[in-house]
Amino acid sequence: MKQVFRVLSSFHTPSKRRSGHAKDDLATPPKQRKAANDENTPAVSPSTPVVLLERLSLVGSEEKKSQRKLFAENGVYQSARKALHSTYPTSMPGREKELHDLKDFILRHLHDGSSATLYVSGPPGTGKTASLNLILQEETVSSELKDIYINCTSIKSSSSVFSKISKELGVKTNGKGEKGCMNAIETYLKVNHKPVLLVLDEIDQLESKNQSVLYTIFEWSSNPNLKLILIGISNALDLTDRILPRLQARCELKPKLMHFAPYTKQQIVEIFTNRLKSAGVLDIFSPVAIQMLAGKVAAVSGDVRRALDIGRRVVELVDRKKSGENMLKSIENLAEELGVAKTVQKMETVDLKQVINVLNNVYGTSQHLSDDIDDSFPLQQKIVVCSLLLILKKAKNKDVTIGRLHDIYRKVCLKRNIQVVDQGEFVSLCSLIETRGIMKIIKKKDPRLNKISLMWDEEEVAEALKDKQLMSMILQDDECLGKL
Amino acid sequence: LTCRHKYFYYESYSESEGDSDKEEKRIITGKRKIKTPVKYNADTYISPRKALKVLEHEAHVTPVKNKLLQKEIFSDIKTPKTPKNSPKCTPKSTIKLIREGTITPKVQSRSKAIQSENTPLKKARSQLHVSYVPSNLPCREKEYTDILNFLEGKLFDQCGGCMYISGVPGTGKTATVTSVINHLLAASKNEELPEFQYVNINGMKLTEPRQAYVEIVRQLTGKTITWEQAQNTLEEKFMKKTKKMKLPIILLVDELDIVCTKRQDVVYNLLDWPTKPSTQLIVITIANTMDLPERLLMNRVTSRLGLTRLTFQPYTHKQLQEIVTKRLVGTDSFNPDAVQLVARKVASVSGDARRALDICRRAAEIAELEGNETLVTMSHVNEALKAMITQPKVRAIKNCSRLEQYILQAIISEVERTGVEETIFSDVYKMLTSLCVLNGFNSVSCTTALRAVSKLGACRLLLIDQKCHDLDQRIILNVSPDDVYYALKEE
Repeated sequence: MKQVFRVLSSFHTPSKRRSGHAKDDLATPPKQRKAANDENTPAVSPSTPVVLLERLSLVGSEEKKSQRKLFAENGVYQSARKALHSTYPTSMPGREKELHDLKDFILRHLHDGSSATLYVSGPPGTGKTASLNLILQEETVSSELKDIYINCTSIKSSSSVFSKISKELGVKTNGKGEKGCMNAIETYLKVNHKPVLLVLDEIDQLESKNQSVLYTIFEWSSNPNLKLILIGISNALDLTDRILPRLQARCELKPKLMHFAPYTKQQIVEIFTNRLKSAGVLDIFSPVAIQMLAGKVAAVSGDVRRALDIGRRVVELVDRKKSGENMLKSIENLAEELGVAKTVQKMETVDLKQVINVLNNVYGTSQHLSDDIDDSFPLQQKIVVCSLLLILKKAKNKDVTIGRLHDIYRKVCLKRNIQVVDQGEFVSLCSLIETRGIMKIIKKKDPRLNKISLMWDEEEVAEALKDKQLMSMILQDDECLGKL
Repeated sequence: LTCRHKYFYYESYSESEGDSDKEEKRIITGKRKIKTPVKYNADTYISPRKALKVLEHEAHVTPVKNKLLQKEIFSDIKTPKTPKNSPKCTPKSTIKLIREGTITPKVQSRSKAIQSENTPLKKARSQLHVSYVPSNLPCREKEYTDILNFLEGKLFDQCGGCMYISGVPGTGKTATVTSVINHLLAASKNEELPEFQYVNINGMKLTEPRQAYVEIVRQLTGKTITWEQAQNTLEEKFMKKTKKMKLPIILLVDELDIVCTKRQDVVYNLLDWPTKPSTQLIVITIANTMDLPERLLMNRVTSRLGLTRLTFQPYTHKQLQEIVTKRLVGTDSFNPDAVQLVARKVASVSGDARRALDICRRAAEIAELEGNETLVTMSHVNEALKAMITQPKVRAIKNCSRLEQYILQAIISEVERTGVEETIFSDVYKMLTSLCVLNGFNSVSCTTALRAVSKLGACRLLLIDQKCHDLDQRIILNVSPDDVYYALKEE
């Protein structure tokens, strides 16, 4: 036993052999066992034959680990995934004009020493925050001003933004309340040395009852004595006109507007190629695949986060498929595995088919539903949806309450000799269907009076239900409707 | 024994004013009329706490909180002074210790151990319990590998991300995710994976969405702080690049739809942190609704949530059968046909695994009650199903008084006459009087009828207006007319 241990432990970790030997010479057997145990994994006791057999494998633990890593993450795919991660990028292709405008705006007002406001709008995922972030990182801009970035979702209420600003500025406030903070900020702005750049992200969260907070902030920046450049970011195109109409009255109060348009197809393609090229894995995507992806996303939303997400997902799927194949291969030729595995891996590019697959899964939700709906959509729920369709198609009175739907469902079930669930159960059945998004329940005072409306198109539902025979039989059943 | 003397002295003094000499004599001689609360054993000293314990042990009662009572019991025992070096035990200091996380909550342990299950049915019942989660979940292999691949990929890539998991209740969402995470924790212990921290929050366990921050900080550091502070610490942790932290964190958010408020700031922050470059926060969100991001969340939150989604479909009857049989491995106490019946019934309604397990447990209980110790048969399962899927309303109508049944009939005929679901009490009353005449029943007064109506409303056979109790009261039938006919015809 002792011999075996020594051999094994020395085999595993060659670097520690010397210390092991030293212990061998000195220690008594039980202690030595403990030492051997410590050197290897401490969790498993080494005395069982199974463990011993396991240790007799040809590969050391270090080597095993690295090998496993090789299988889990193919270097290329990993770097592609990393490149497509939706964090703040270092370069922004497709936004050159906006970047230039922003920088111009800030620098001009810096040189003038005047204060100004800018309102940046655009749908989510068009790079508003990212481009501001990029500008603030530049030396020429950041050295000349004090920049404060506040995300308005992270504050407690709209009025507590003042205390946050004063905290960021490092101003001492004499009063505890919001008024004290406000005064402190104003005095700071009057006597300060560097101009302040205040960026309020998601500025629509600052809406309050009479918009006093927003008005106060916007009025600061129009005051020539205070050197403050304010940039507000939000999604709505007309936020300043809609909730701050009083700013229109005076021209100097009016903020400058800048809109970030949704990305076009060409821009998304550019972003993809840029990102992949910088990671050195451009050839993982075929150009057609990128074109397809960009076209689809640009047509729907122009949200680059979404495009990157789809790209990442495609890479993940390909990677998974690839690693699955690898595993199969490794089982097939266990003997060769060690030497050959590294050379065998050839890269597989993402082609059009896989992109279309992912896109279909993402955009065609109902179609995706019908793939696996036929066996896992419970029968009772099918009948409920069918009876709802029956009412909507045949009955004169189209507003459906749960009570009425239950009555008709009962009749349908009784006719076909299917067990009927009672009303309490039926309500929960309806809410289960609601989670699929097929219908919507509008809550009323009592569950029986809840209104139901169909959310999907009737054809689409009919397609999704698939069980054609049952469907058509129920849909022809006028008698169940009664005289209503 | 000085305190003892004093005690008696004061007591007696209050009883009879003046006359102190006489009283003292009486004490010394030992004749006393006032009652002694507890027999005092002079040679064995018992501390109050110990005495209380002994008392508890003997009488099996919970300790009495009433201070007056305690005083009466122990007033004649000298209270020991608390040693000076012991930590203070005022309520405030205790709360402080709890907030710092130095004391952990404990539950009182049993005085006797539970006896272990020996009969096969008892064993089956304990294995069928919903809380008994098997080590690997049957029929969820595909979802398991999906989640595992996602998490492993993120951990190796060292970047953050989000995933959205949806599915109806009882389809094994949370169980699958936790088993994946347990697997990863074990793997990271064996150093096959980078180390990571795991935090889970549940929307239903939070009194308010913002308490999510507190909970996350508590699980990361063990300290309880207010939500503003918690938000600040988390923001510092995730936004600032300075600290060279940092283990990746896997955050599991269960019941996402509860965390959504009107402002949606909590959800926004939870989903915005993974997109920051310095953090490695991986968020897994779970909810029931399939299209929650499109339906409930704001546009910008949906954009951050991304498109990595996974839907858990309801179990089919085959899968349910497999789940139950896998749990029953080792006990052959269930008839396979009985299991199949349960699986089919449940799969046709909801596909909820919890429900199938509950019905099976109930069937085992029924079999046990019947004295059948080994086998659960079809009939037991049928009985359990009947109990689970009952229609108590028909029975309630059958057990109504004659007047109440007439009222129900009157409402139905009124609905049929007008064609509108909503009826007014005065019309119903007219119909009721004619019904009474037809059946040879004495005509009832308006008040009696109103009382009967309100009684029917209280047991939810009718829906009635809570505001007014007069002739204009609006009444809606809460059962289907067929149920009423069926219940009344059988007599």
